Amino acid sequence: MPVIQAENLSKVFHIPQKDPGVAGAVKALFRPRFQPKVAVDDVSFQVAEGEVVGYIGVNGAGKSTTIKMLTGILVPSGGQVRILGRDPHRERVANARDIGVVFGQRTQLWWDLALTESLGMVARIYDVPPTRYRQLLDQFAEILELKDLLHVPIRTMSLGQKMRAELAATLIHEPKIVYLDEPTIGLDLIVKERIREFIQQQNREQGTTVILTTHDLGDIETLCRRVLIIDAGKLIYDGPLSLIKERFGKFREITFDTASPVTTFTLPTGAEVVAAEERKLVLRFDRTRATASQVAASLMNQLEVVDFSLAEPDLANIIKHIYQGALREDGGRRTEDGGRKAEDGRPELQASLGR
Amino acid sequence: MPRYVSLYSLFLRQRLKILMEYRVNFFIGAVSTLIEQTAGLLTVWVVMQRIPLLNGWTYEELLLVYGLLALSKSLTYLFADNLWTVGREYIRTGGFDRFLVRPVDPLFHLLADRFDHQGLGHLIIGGILVSTASARLGITWDLPHLLYLVVAVLSGGLIFIGLNLITCVSAFWIMDSVPVTRVVFDMNEFAKYPLSMYNRGVQFVLTWLVPYGFASFYPANYLLGRDVGVLVWLGPAVAVTLLLIGYRLWLFGLRHYASTGS
Repeated sequence: MPVIQAENLSKVFHIPQKDPGVAGAVKALFRPRFQPKVAVDDVSFQVAEGEVVGYIGVNGAGKSTTIKMLTGILVPSGGQVRILGRDPHRERVANARDIGVVFGQRTQLWWDLALTESLGMVARIYDVPPTRYRQLLDQFAEILELKDLLHVPIRTMSLGQKMRAELAATLIHEPKIVYLDEPTIGLDLIVKERIREFIQQQNREQGTTVILTTHDLGDIETLCRRVLIIDAGKLIYDGPLSLIKERFGKFREITFDTASPVTTFTLPTGAEVVAAEERKLVLRFDRTRATASQVAASLMNQLEVVDFSLAEPDLANIIKHIYQGALREDGGRRTEDGGRKAEDGRPELQASLGR
Repeated sequence: MPRYVSLYSLFLRQRLKILMEYRVNFFIGAVSTLIEQTAGLLTVWVVMQRIPLLNGWTYEELLLVYGLLALSKSLTYLFADNLWTVGREYIRTGGFDRFLVRPVDPLFHLLADRFDHQGLGHLIIGGILVSTASARLGITWDLPHLLYLVVAVLSGGLIFIGLNLITCVSAFWIMDSVPVTRVVFDMNEFAKYPLSMYNRGVQFVLTWLVPYGFASFYPANYLLGRDVGVLVWLGPAVAVTLLLIGYRLWLFGLRHYASTGS
């Protein structure tokens, strides 16, 4: 049975509209107007026990709103959520025992208390047996390198120290599901590494299910085999990380070094200029419309090419493309099993947007 | 229930620990409460210098009314002060989300998250006023009177808390509920004096709409042996009713909680 089930999940906010100035404020007081804003639009997915799922999208795409519905903070406007078979809002307390949540930069620890005291309080709130608590505390202090911080108040900690402390607090009751909302934001590489290792270890050893929202593709690449992409409230991709490149990375970049300065030439079909320097030309082509050899051959016929290289698109660029709405233009809503190939070998992109 | 009691004491201990860390704050808070209370009492004293009897009430009897109100009010300061700032300090900052993902009732968590030591000032002053006034008035503290006092103060405190709970729910829509709470809360000023000196309209409001009368005037009548009929016994029922309405509204607000961006 899946531990997380979201079915046709929607959330509509009613944003109060106000005209500028005092007159506007007075008017809003007597005749409030609300503009509906669809933050999450008909999102469905399931997560099995022990999965680590990356949930990505631009700011305002609906990531946090989805997480808040999964955790029971927000009541969905439509559709339904089941977490371990429960409605997380109606059965709030029971649900809360089984989940852990990290909210980006907001700490759940008490600002003025020493870390051990804060962790002790969290453990009491979650009824962690004292012996188990001490075991976990030792273990977490070791992995997250918190030993020297145990008697330090949270308010004096650096961002990286705070986040490590936060993770310890979030996992001290051994939740079955952990929601991490941007756990590595603003942290240096070393701390990021530590945190990723810790998450990996919890997943491996405890079978913890992890939902991770992030803007850091390193997090996704090291932790997640499955990725959900949300854009403008709609789920536009749900599948393995490896397939994103294959499906959406339809552009290749090819770089030519030429013997003499490039003056004029005819662009090969399906290609466009990315950069042109005196003896260097970078072209981008759509690999569904042209092959590398076609582009290279066409150019070599026109110019004297000394050297050329072909670049695989990196994930960051693909994601950027997705964010910029490239997929929306294609009308593509991708699912894991939706990758039917068309005759020309081009992945079928006309899927079921707004079905 | 035992779990909530032990959690509350845990929270309280940590709060006190933090308070002790900020001794200056603690001191300033205590002094400001004293000044506030002294100023209030001074007004009563000045008035009573000129007119020895106010609507048939003596100075000592007024002190009793005033003291009972201070005792009731101290409970809301001590145990429910976060109802004032749930919008400003928790909903606006996003901190409220945390309460919703913990295995504890969110309202309990909100209340347990603060202990306003200024309430101690109100408690002490209220205690002094009630005991000196009753000594001068010759009220004997036998068991029934003592029991009545405890129940009356508890009910009075819960009436304050219930009204603040009802008004604070507006924070789920307007974010900052302080102005709404303030309008209702400040009506307790009227209850520092005997309700009988006001016209019928004001009496009705302070008895049935914002029933602060049950936190001062009605119990004072009982203790002084004056007769206002069944009203001297209604305090607990009024308090429970307000709390039930408040909690239903709170749950309704929670369903409409929109959280903050990000």
